[in-house]
Amino acid sequence: MRPLPLPDQDTAFFWEGTAQRKLLILRCEACGSYVHYPKPACPLCGAASLTPTEVSGRGHVHTFTVTHRAVPGFEQPFVVAMIELDEQPGLRLISNVIGVEPDAVSIGMRVEVTFQPAADDVWLPVFRPEAGR
Amino acid sequence: MTLRDIAIAGVGCSEIVRASDRSVTALTLDACRAALADAGLGPAHVDGMATYPGAPDSIACFAVVEGLGIPGLRWFEDIAGWAPAAVAPVIAAADAVARGSCETALVFRSTKRNRDRPPGFASAARIGGDNQFRAPFGDTMTSQWLAMWARRHMYEHGTTEEHLGHIAVTFRRHAILNQRAPLRDPITLEDYFASRMVTTPFRLLDCDFPVDGAGAVVITTLARARDLPHPPVQVLGGAMTTGTRPDWDQWPDLTTMASKRCADELWARTGLQPHDVNVAEIYDGFSWLALCWLEDLGFCAKGEGGPFIAEGNIALGSRLPTNTHGGSLSAGRLHAITHVIECVEQLRGAAAERQVPGAEVGVVSAGGGTMAGAALLARAR
Repeated sequence: MRPLPLPDQDTAFFWEGTAQRKLLILRCEACGSYVHYPKPACPLCGAASLTPTEVSGRGHVHTFTVTHRAVPGFEQPFVVAMIELDEQPGLRLISNVIGVEPDAVSIGMRVEVTFQPAADDVWLPVFRPEAGR
Repeated sequence: MTLRDIAIAGVGCSEIVRASDRSVTALTLDACRAALADAGLGPAHVDGMATYPGAPDSIACFAVVEGLGIPGLRWFEDIAGWAPAAVAPVIAAADAVARGSCETALVFRSTKRNRDRPPGFASAARIGGDNQFRAPFGDTMTSQWLAMWARRHMYEHGTTEEHLGHIAVTFRRHAILNQRAPLRDPITLEDYFASRMVTTPFRLLDCDFPVDGAGAVVITTLARARDLPHPPVQVLGGAMTTGTRPDWDQWPDLTTMASKRCADELWARTGLQPHDVNVAEIYDGFSWLALCWLEDLGFCAKGEGGPFIAEGNIALGSRLPTNTHGGSLSAGRLHAITHVIECVEQLRGAAAERQVPGAEVGVVSAGGGTMAGAALLARAR
């Protein structure tokens, strides 16, 4: 079985969100920037007021790797990608691209979030090719 | 004193092998004794110490103090956490001697693999910290992070797998001339392409490999080093840099690492330029790291690293012999302490068949992605 997240005070909102099939990213109330990974302060302006904000879940593959080595819970090969969300240049999540052959994944490919159950209380945000493309 | 008044006076290694039957403490002490003997000094001369213990595969300074019977230290530092590996304690120790915190510092990096604890995460393990956003997606290995940076570099600059292959092949050719390198069988580009894919675009031969072993260097004042057996190797300058964000996936431009800022600092602080450097011993935990360091240090333009390498510019006998001991790719993962040792031997003119004729200035580096460290060393005049 794949490794599972161990939420803490800074990150619990993210996993509570995915459990409700919502992708929540912190947004700085002072400068408006989205911030991932979750932090107690904005790395761009230093302000300490960050609010979990639902995002569209749409974006593109900024870069990726197709992993052939054994990792518990994964069938080889599988795709690990940096997904850049539409909300902000450089706002990226590490995730998987599913629903497409690994060989067909490319930089720039449009993707959208979908939620995958990983354990009773854990849903993981993974990405598939955007519908209608 | 400034860094220019500081020198490396001794270097030494333990055995460096795929699997040693000796403990990591025994290996470390072997390397430290060898470095002190090389410097013509004894344990009683050591009053400073630094190491990069890295992951829990090594030991702290105190174990060496005890093991060598050093009466006591005036300065020491175990550089834990996220740092440019073995270059970090070298710079720290040189700084410590320069400001008078100690006079003679021993720096080491040692590793021994824990074979009872396989790498990666256990099945269904609960992972905290930043890894909770990576491990559940199977992103559990450094190779995957760097593979994604390399892929982006290929996309933006046209770098190819063959370019990466030339790095592995060239460093192996150098390792053949280095008795200490565990991997000395010649390889060709065909062998490179035939090695198994780990995580695209990285094949097995793009990745360094774990070894059991240790390396150590002795750092003291240039004035003192002039009275010791070997030609002193002067520390011209050192720099350690980061960007704003520690997370490798949030770094704005994945084709340029923290090494760019590090290189800019190094050239500015020393007044030297890339064309002043005769030999480069740069971090190559993965092949692409060496390519990016070459670009970021300014030995070629950004994006030109692949062609620069493929045209033969990093081989012994060329413009910029690089990783003349075989690098981490062929001489093993000791996080750049052997890069430092090799640079010192080159600048002493003591690198035997690997010697770069007339080498006067060398660069050493470690780190990648979001943090970097590098130093310029020179044969003292």
